[in-house]
Formats: sequence, structure tokens, C-alpha cells
Amino acid sequence: MRVLLLVLLLTGCSGSNTDPVSTLKLETPRPFGYLIGDEIPFKVMIETDVGVTLQAASIPATGQVNRWLNLNQVQLQQRELHGRWHYELELRYQVFYAPLEVKLLTIPNFTLQLLQNGKEISQIVPAWAFNISPLRELSIRKTANGEYKRPDALPLLLSTTTPWTGVVIALCVAVVSGFYLAALYGLLPRIFKRHVFRRASQQLAKLSKADMDQALSCVHHAFNTLNQRPLFHTQVHDFYRRHPNYKQMHEQVDWFFNYSNRYFFSNGMIAVALDVDKLKQLCEQAQKIERGSQ
Amino acid sequence: MITQIHLADWREKALQFEKNINQIVLGQTPAVRAITVAVFARGHVLLEGNVGVGKTTLLRAVAQGLGGDYQRIEGSIDLMPADLIYYTYLDREGRPKVDPGPLLKQGENLATFFFNEINRARPQVHSLLLRAMAERSVNAFNRDYALPHLQVFADRNRVEREETFELPAAAKDRFMMEINIDTPNVDKVLDELMFNPNFHDTDQLIASMGESNLAYYQLNALAEAIQIGIQTSPTLRSYALSLWKATQQPQQFGIQLEDVDMAQLLIAGASPRGMSYWIRAAKTRAWLENRAHVLPEDLQAVFSICMTHRLFLNPMYSYRKDQLLPDLLVGILQRVAAP
Repeated sequence: MRVLLLVLLLTGCSGSNTDPVSTLKLETPRPFGYLIGDEIPFKVMIETDVGVTLQAASIPATGQVNRWLNLNQVQLQQRELHGRWHYELELRYQVFYAPLEVKLLTIPNFTLQLLQNGKEISQIVPAWAFNISPLRELSIRKTANGEYKRPDALPLLLSTTTPWTGVVIALCVAVVSGFYLAALYGLLPRIFKRHVFRRASQQLAKLSKADMDQALSCVHHAFNTLNQRPLFHTQVHDFYRRHPNYKQMHEQVDWFFNYSNRYFFSNGMIAVALDVDKLKQLCEQAQKIERGSQ
Repeated sequence: MITQIHLADWREKALQFEKNINQIVLGQTPAVRAITVAVFARGHVLLEGNVGVGKTTLLRAVAQGLGGDYQRIEGSIDLMPADLIYYTYLDREGRPKVDPGPLLKQGENLATFFFNEINRARPQVHSLLLRAMAERSVNAFNRDYALPHLQVFADRNRVEREETFELPAAAKDRFMMEINIDTPNVDKVLDELMFNPNFHDTDQLIASMGESNLAYYQLNALAEAIQIGIQTSPTLRSYALSLWKATQQPQQFGIQLEDVDMAQLLIAGASPRGMSYWIRAAKTRAWLENRAHVLPEDLQAVFSICMTHRLFLNPMYSYRKDQLLPDLLVGILQRVAAP
């Protein structure tokens, strides 16, 4: 009985995992059907104890492995899971072997170095074999136009009519929406009011001193439109604050409002041709300001 | 007959009157101008403002400036119309006696009647005031008493609303203006009011007021001369008519207030009597501005104070009255052009 217990105890101790690399797994693609220039992704997964670290210097460097094999890309990912290190080493090889017939090639093995308590441990990643095929048969056949090899036929172009129609419709909707928004924000009157004095000048050109009512009204209308509300003589300072460019013609503006007040609201005012000319000059001056030339 | 020359003389006196009041009541220049206009347009005035902003001082200064007799009564919930007409007491011999009340005591010499806290008085008292204000006469002891020079100033504070009676529309309409008296907001004025002892004793302050040389008994004739002498052109009449229409149908003039159905906003616009008061005030302002004709700016200057108490909002909007009415009146002035 004592002997049996001792055997069991020894068996339990000997069963404990003392290997620093508990798992080494390769994830490889299909091992056949490769052509010259193909890339082969190759993944090595290693699981170690927490105290074991993979030496980065032992990871294969990118570049030429041998005459027909290049290592294009190396990527290492490391994470801790359930108290163990998980390394994922992704390698991307490219084959440049030009076989004359189907041939078996082997990606050579390599050794990874791991460090545990200052002690180096080697872990060999095994070689991996695969088949590579020629691009064409050995004896090259010819056609009437020479060699039969040719580029791939160009793909058929997709019709762009429908997307373009959609773009045009979307643009139209955007423009209409833009105008609608501008109207909601009150920007449209601002656009139209840019030329208020040009229109006033055009109307004044057709009027004479006999039409002084209309002449004054059309200048008032221009000022009101620019001001976005009726403008009275007592409010011109506020008008200049919002339209400082017009302050330079304050003498003409004062004359206009005084004249208009006398004409419309007091009795016995007689218009003369000179007054119409002064109104026209006022409009021309204001037109220059709204054009930005003054 | 007061001629043009006299009008010019009277204008100087009116401006001196205004200046004197402005020296007594600081920081209330617009209100003083409005009251000056009302005095020379012979319109009654309703003052509204917070407590202690100077309403009573302002009215006492006006009374002092106008000369003539002055009476004052405090509105209270138990005030009855008879209290304005007469009061009864027992004389030294123990016999009952009846003496005239504040309205009749000075007879025809009563020039200024100040009704303090008018909204504390009952509607019966308001009714009595209606006739006194509109016809400048009162019926008592089976006869009519004429009060030809009477000008009523009433005030109400806007802080307290309990135990108050809203003035009926008819009574409000008989006031030419409703003037808001706000606390001055200029630091220099506030400093003067706080630290200058001259402004601490109202009686002494009023007594120190300069002489205006106004003859209150000539004001009616002067007001008529102003109304006849100051001209209104057809264009101005058309502008005034548009403004009046806009107070009745604001939506037709493109006026829009936030969250308001404009067609439902008003249940009553300004009355024809209100409009005639407005034009009287505008003419008087034109005279004070030394013009022989009314300009749109005259109409605009007295538009709000003549209109605010004449517009009656639909009950569903009346809780926003303090915001909507000023916005509406500003909106009207900003939408109607002249010409």
C-alpha cells in the first residue's frame, strides 16, 4: 500500500507541465496551387508561461530568405490571457520560383528564442511544404497573331447614367433647399437689396419735377429696402451704424429727408428741376456705394 | 385769441416748465416730455411704475408748475364716489354739516387732480371719474359743477395686484396717455438721488422749483390754438390712418409676433377718441419742437404712450401682455412707411 502511494505521488509530480512553451500552432494556407509571385500568409501561435518572453531579435527579419523566397511582412501581436502569454506571429512570404512542372517547395524552418529567468530557450518553428505550378506549358504554342498570351480582357464598364441622374437630382434639391433656407434666414432680401439704388436711379431717369411725389417715394423705397424697415430722418444714425459706407453722403441724406419732410408734410412746397437733379445725384452716389466702388 | 406770436411765447414758457420739472425729477426726461405734451394737449394722464420711482413727486412738480389749485386723493378699496364729492361732519355746535369734497372744493379753479393708486378704488369711483374726465363737469347736489381746467393724473403701481380693480376700458380710453415711469439707470443720476439731500425732502424740493409763469386758465385756449395752428398734410393723414388700421388688423400689414396667431391677437384696437387724442398729442409735440406742421416722427414719438392702454388682447395672450404690446407697437412702426 505504501509503495502504491509513493508511485502515485511521483506520478503526480512528474505530470506537472515544466515546458515553457505550452502550445505551438501553425496556421497555414492550402499547400498547393501556387504560381510564381504568389504571397503565402503564415501564422505562428505560441502560448507560454507568464515569466517567459519571446526575444524580438529571434523573429525573422523581412527580406530575402533564399534564392526564390522573400519575407515581405512580419507582424507580432502579444496579449495576456488566463495568466499566460499569447504570441501571434504573422509572416507573409512571396514565392519567385519559376517551375517547369509541378514542384514541391519548402519554406524553411526557423528558431525562436525565448527567455525564462535569464535562461534562453529555443523553439523551432517547423518547415512547411507546398506545391507550386508553372504558369504555362513547357512548349509554347503560337497563334496566327503570335504568342497566345495576352492580358486579361478589360472588364465591362458599369453604366453611370443612373448615378449621374441621382447626382443631378441631388444637386437640384440642394440648390432649392439652399434658396429655401436663405429665404427662411432672410438672406434673399439682402441679395435683392444690393441693387436698390440702381433700380431707383433707373426709375428716377424717367421722372421730372412734375413727378416729385414718385421721385421722392422711389428714393424712400430704396432706403427702406436697404434698411429692411421704413427709414425716417430721426433714425438715420442707426442706419449709418448698420451701413457705415453711407455715412460719407450724410449731407445729401440729410438734405433728402429734410426736403421730403417739407414736401410731404408742410404746405406750399414747390418742386423745381434742380431738386430732381439733386435726387438723381444722391441716387448715383448711393449706387456707387452699393457697387462698392466708393 | 392766441396768435402765432403768442404761440411762440407760450412755447418758451412750455419749455421752461419742462426744464423746471426735469430739475426736480431727475432721469425721467422722456416721461417729463410726455407729461408736458399732455398738459398742453389737455389730456389726462395715467402713470404706471414701481414704488418710489418718483411718480408722486413728478405730479406734484407738474401741479406746482401749472399753478392753479391742486387736489389729491388716495385710492382705497372703501373709497366711494361720494367721498370725491362731499364729506359730512359735526361742527362746533354739534350740527351736521356737508362740505364739498376734493373734486368740488376748489370749484372752477381746480387745475390738477391727482388720483393716487387709482386701481385700488372700486369701479363705482372709476365711473364718477369718467364724466369728470370726459366732460370736465360733475353732477352733485342737483346741479352740474363745471371743472373747465381740470386735468386728471392717476397712478398705479405695477408691483401689487392684490385688492386692486382693473380700470374699465372706457375709463382707460379717457386717458390720453399711459406713461411708464422706470427707475433711472444712469449712475450719475442714481448717485445724485441717493446722496444729494435736496432730493430727500420732497416738500422742500417742490418748493424750490423755478417759476414757469404759466397761466393754467389759459391752457384750454392755448391747446385749441395749437390744434388749429399746427398743420397736418394729406400724406401725414394717410400715414396716421395706416398706423391706426395696423393697430386693428396688424396681420394685414405683415406684422408677425413670435408664437402668436395675429388674427386672434386683438379683441379691440384703438378707438376714434383715442386716435383724436393721439393726433392732439402729436400736434402739441410738433409745436414744442418749433414746427408748424406735424411730421411722422411726432406721431411715432407719442404712438406707444397713446396706444398701449387702448389695445385689448385676446385673453389667451393677455398673460404675455407686457411683452406682446410693446413688440406689437414697435412692429407697427417698423412696418408702416411714410410716404
